[in-house]
Amino acid sequence: MKKNLTWIGFLIVLVFCLSMFAGCAEKKAVVKEGAAQDQQVTSEQAAKDAAAKAEADRLAREQAAKEAAERLAREQAEKEQVAKVEAASAAAENAVKDIYFDFDKSNVRPDAREVLKANADYFLKNSAATIIIEGNCDERGTAEYNMALGQRRAQEAKKYLVNLGVKGSSIKTISFGKERPIDPGHDEQAWAKNRRDHFVVKTK
Amino acid sequence: MLIAVLISLPLFASIGVAAKVYIDVDSPNFQLFPIAICDFAITDPNGAAKSKDSGITLADEVKRYLIMTGFFNPLNKKSFLDNGSANSPVSKIAFANWTMIGADYLVEGNVTQSEKETSAECRLFDVIKGDILFNKKYTAAGSDLKALARNIASDILFELTGDEGDFNTKIAFVAKKGNKADIYTVNYDGSDMKALTNHRAIIVSPRWSPDGRFLAFTSFKGGEPEVYIRDLKNGSERKVASFEGLNLCGYWSPDGQKILLTLSKDGNEELYVLEIETLKLQRLTNNYAIDVSPAWSPDGKKIAFVSNRGGSPQIYSMDADGNNARRITFEGNYNTTPSWSPRGGRIAYEGLINGRYQIFTVDEEGNNLLQLTFDAADNESPSWSPSGRQIVYSSRTNSKSKICIMNANGLGGRVLKENGGNVTMPMWSPRWK
Repeated sequence: MKKNLTWIGFLIVLVFCLSMFAGCAEKKAVVKEGAAQDQQVTSEQAAKDAAAKAEADRLAREQAAKEAAERLAREQAEKEQVAKVEAASAAAENAVKDIYFDFDKSNVRPDAREVLKANADYFLKNSAATIIIEGNCDERGTAEYNMALGQRRAQEAKKYLVNLGVKGSSIKTISFGKERPIDPGHDEQAWAKNRRDHFVVKTK
Repeated sequence: MLIAVLISLPLFASIGVAAKVYIDVDSPNFQLFPIAICDFAITDPNGAAKSKDSGITLADEVKRYLIMTGFFNPLNKKSFLDNGSANSPVSKIAFANWTMIGADYLVEGNVTQSEKETSAECRLFDVIKGDILFNKKYTAAGSDLKALARNIASDILFELTGDEGDFNTKIAFVAKKGNKADIYTVNYDGSDMKALTNHRAIIVSPRWSPDGRFLAFTSFKGGEPEVYIRDLKNGSERKVASFEGLNLCGYWSPDGQKILLTLSKDGNEELYVLEIETLKLQRLTNNYAIDVSPAWSPDGKKIAFVSNRGGSPQIYSMDADGNNARRITFEGNYNTTPSWSPRGGRIAYEGLINGRYQIFTVDEEGNNLLQLTFDAADNESPSWSPSGRQIVYSSRTNSKSKICIMNANGLGGRVLKENGGNVTMPMWSPRWK
C-alpha cells in the first residue's frame, strides 16, 4: 500500500513536472508555430490568392467566352429575326404597293384597283398579318381638310380590300394629311407621288 | 375726311355703339388715320439726366403700337411746324399748324421718371375740330415705357374706333421641322416667341379656350391623331378624344364648356360636339361626304364648317344642333378653314383662285364676298383677332412660310413672324385681362 502511495506521489510529481515542462515547451512551440504559421499563412494566402485569381480569371474567361457565344447566338438569332422580318416586309413591300389618287379625290382609280387586288392576294395569303393603311395628301390646301381627305383615302382602300375578302378587323387606317410627303417637291410630279395610300404590313 | 367723320357719326349712333366712334375702319373706303405724335415733354423735378430720352422713346413706342393696329399713319416728325408743349391748354394749340401738314389727330404729353415708376400724361386732339378728345394719366412700374405706350395706343384706338384693340393678345401657331412639330406662341407685337408644347410630332389645329387658359390641339405624339387639351396655368395635358381613326380638334363653344371635333370613328368624317368635363359626345352631322373644320359663331347658335357634299370642299353653316345646314360659298371649287368673326356677321376662309390659296370673307348668309389677299403666295388658315378688326394667317411660297396680320378689310398688312422653316395654322388668343 505504501509502495502504491509512493508511486502515486511520484506520478503526481512527475505529472506536475511534466505538465510544467510541457507548459514551457508548449509555449515555445506555440511561439515557434505562430511564426511558422505566419510564414505559412503568407505563403498559403499567396497561393490561395493566386489560385483564386486563376480561378476567377478562368471563370471570367469562361464567362466571357460563354457570353460571347451567347451574344453571337443572340445576335445571330436577332439577325435572323431581323432578316426574317426584313424579308417578310421586303416581301410584303414587294407584294404590297402604294396606290395613288387624283387631286382632292378619294375614289379608288382604275389603276389603283389592280394594285389593290394584288395587295389583297398578299393579305389573304398572309392572314396573320396586320395592315395599316396610311392616307396621304399633297401639300396644297388646308391641313385640316387634308387630314380628313387622307382618312377618306385610307378608308376607301380598306373598303375595297374588305370587299375582296380581307378581314376588316386586321386593317387599321390612319391619315397623315399633307404632313408627311414622300417627295418634298412643289410640282405636280411630286404632288402626284404624295397623294397616296401607303400599306404597312406587320407580320408576327 | 371731315365728310367721312360727319357721315359715320350718325351711322354709329344709330346702331348703338357705346363709345364715341369717329371712323368706320371696316369700310373699304377707310383711309389710315393721319396722326401727329409729338415727343413727350419731360417733367423732371429732380433734374435727373437719365430720363432725357424717355420722351422721344415713349413717342416712338406709341407710334410703333399705333402702326401695328393697321389703322394709323403717323406723320414724319420732320414735317412738324410746331412741337407739342407740355400742359398747353386747348386754346394755345395752333391747330392750323397741324391740319396744314395733313394731320387729323395730334398726340402730345409729358413723362416723369422716378426710381420706382414712370408716369405720363397724354392728350389726344382732333385738330380739324379743334377739340381735345382725352387727357389721361398713366403709370407703369420701373421704366417700362413699352407698357405705357401700349396703354396710350390702346386708349387712342378706343377713342377713335370704339374698340380696345388687340394689344394684350398672343398668337399660337405650329412650327414644323421635318415631320416633327410643336406649338409656339408669340405676342401681338412680335415679341417673346416661345415653345408651348414639347411633342415633337405632327400637330395641327391649335384652338384657344375663350378664357385663354386652355389650348386644344390634335397631336400624333402617340402615333395617331388624338385631341389634347393643355392647361396653360400648370402645363398639364389631358387627352380628350382618341377614337379609332381621325380625331381632329375644332373650335371651343363661346362658354368654354364644349369643343367641336371631327371624328371618323363611325365610318366617315363627321362633326361632333364634346362636353369637356363629362366627355359626353353628341353627333352633329350624318352625311357620306367629308365634314370637317367646325367653327362656332360668337353667339354659339351656329356652326360653320367645310363639307364636300356638293362635290368640292365648300363652307357651310348649320344650327348648333346640326340642323339646317346650308352652303354659303359658291365661288371657286376649294373653300376651306372657316373662322367666325368675334363681332359676328362675317366668316373668313381660304379659297383657291388662279392656282393660289387666298383669304376671303363672306357674310353668314353667303353674300358680300370680299377677297383680302392677292399676292403670289398660298395664304391660309385665317383667324380673327378678339377685336374682330384684324386677321392673322399663314403665307407660304415654295420653301418659305410666315405668319402675317392684316386688317379685316385686307389693308395694313404686316409680317408677325418669318421663319426659314414651316410656320402654319396661326390662332389668335382672346384678350388677357
